[in-house]
Amino acid sequence: MDTAIYKARRRRNVAAAAASYGATGVGLAGLALILVELFWQGFSGLSLAVFTQMTPPPGSAGGLLNAIVGSLIMTLIAILIGTPIGMLAGTYMAEYGRHDKVTSVVRFINDILLSAPSIVVGLFIYEVMVVPMGHFSGIAGAVALSVIVIPVVVRTTEDMLMLVPNTLREAAASIGLPRSLMIRHIAYRAARSGIITGVLLAVARISGETAPLLFTALNNQFYSHNLNAPMSSLPVVIFQFALSPYEDWQKLAWSGALIITISVLALSITARALAGTRKSS
Amino acid sequence: MTVATSASSAAVSHPPIDPASLRDKVAIRNLEFYYGQSKALKSITLPLYENKVTAFIGPSGCGKSTLLRVLNRMYDLYPNQHAEGQVQFDGINIVEPGLDLNLLRARIGMVFQKPTPFPMSIYENIAFGIRLYEKLPKRELDQRVEDALRRAALWDEVKDKLNANGLSLSGGQQQRLCIARTVAVRPEVILFDEPCSALDPISTAKIEELIHELKMDYTIVIVTHNMQQAARVSDFTAFMYLGELIEFGPTDKIFTSPSDRRTQDYITGRFG
Repeated sequence: MDTAIYKARRRRNVAAAAASYGATGVGLAGLALILVELFWQGFSGLSLAVFTQMTPPPGSAGGLLNAIVGSLIMTLIAILIGTPIGMLAGTYMAEYGRHDKVTSVVRFINDILLSAPSIVVGLFIYEVMVVPMGHFSGIAGAVALSVIVIPVVVRTTEDMLMLVPNTLREAAASIGLPRSLMIRHIAYRAARSGIITGVLLAVARISGETAPLLFTALNNQFYSHNLNAPMSSLPVVIFQFALSPYEDWQKLAWSGALIITISVLALSITARALAGTRKSS
Repeated sequence: MTVATSASSAAVSHPPIDPASLRDKVAIRNLEFYYGQSKALKSITLPLYENKVTAFIGPSGCGKSTLLRVLNRMYDLYPNQHAEGQVQFDGINIVEPGLDLNLLRARIGMVFQKPTPFPMSIYENIAFGIRLYEKLPKRELDQRVEDALRRAALWDEVKDKLNANGLSLSGGQQQRLCIARTVAVRPEVILFDEPCSALDPISTAKIEELIHELKMDYTIVIVTHNMQQAARVSDFTAFMYLGELIEFGPTDKIFTSPSDRRTQDYITGRFG
């Protein structure tokens, strides 16, 4: 037997595997460096004051309370606006209009929206809300974020409903269940953890968005939950403080980045855990 | 082995059928069915007798499942499928447009090839269908759920875990849960689409026994790939081939002295 061909193939195999491991290592090393630096810098500045005091003027003590509250308010409203719209659209696409032309058009546009640069979303809301209102506001920020939420939820809702087997729909129909009840009681239930995962991923996605907020909610030095006024948020404060020459502001920016990272990490882990329970059930 | 014996004794015990006692529950006349442009059923004419079990047999692609899915208009869930002709059920032609399909399907139930429990508790799987058409006090509902599970010979196995998820049951139990769910709605006709093809022999024997008991109250149609099963459970057999009904008659006759050469070739295993 001529083993030359086999040996050559094995050499190529080893080389390819080595390249794969190398590429993975480079990617992971970059991530590790970012995380180590973030945790190092972020934790050293972290204290109770970060969660209880307002963003300070340079040189004095302070925290990020107004930014944290602002982020929470705008994220919550964005999800409350985006989730029903996204779920209803996704439901139409998967359950009612699965074979319609309009569904493929909507899916195509939704995919574009999904990858649209978020600064474009910010400019869009600036034009349709901030300019007519005459000032920056928390509600404009929330709406801008909801524009980012919608395509994510549309996509996951449609995908998760498509995974519900048709046999289940037929079984529901076979006992005389109208389609609307089938969707509410059978399809949503079967797809529930997947849809929740999608919403959590949307939260993760918007909690780090800066560009859409710069043009809409702007920032606020003070604590405010007035939706009709400029509102502070973590990403914008990080952006502003990190670029400043003041060391104490930079420190707060690190802490803010750490808070966002840990929140997103927690959300992702929850989402993965939910996705896992879906597979095993 | 016990499965085979009990099943073959069931086949032997077919009592002779008195033709005068037969009543059409469903009458299919000149039924044609299309998937898009292609014709899948060609001028089918066939009675389904009340309180009898009718089996549809034939090689894959012969149209037996298609025919079954016409009977509860299941094909309506999909675009580009349509039927022409007549399927008379209680004085109405069910393939006509404008019929309330949910009401039709409440009267003509269906059990599928793969068990399809709903993603909810065992109790809810049954109660859900009942609540669609009847508002019952809790105690009566409990009773109806129990009755349905007893009819499906599942009660003793699940009575202590009615709140467990329906998906936690074994395949054979899930299929009996689906039968209970169908029975609970109190249909008049039950369609079985290869109900045992995903089950082991013991579960299969249980389902066949059930079908035997259910025909006291229901008109039953079963599609099966398994000729022994057709011989065991059915009173009448329809042999289909390439979208046509080749032969229909009492099961004993179809299996012992078929009049068409193709029927004989199929049941003796020469093709299919």
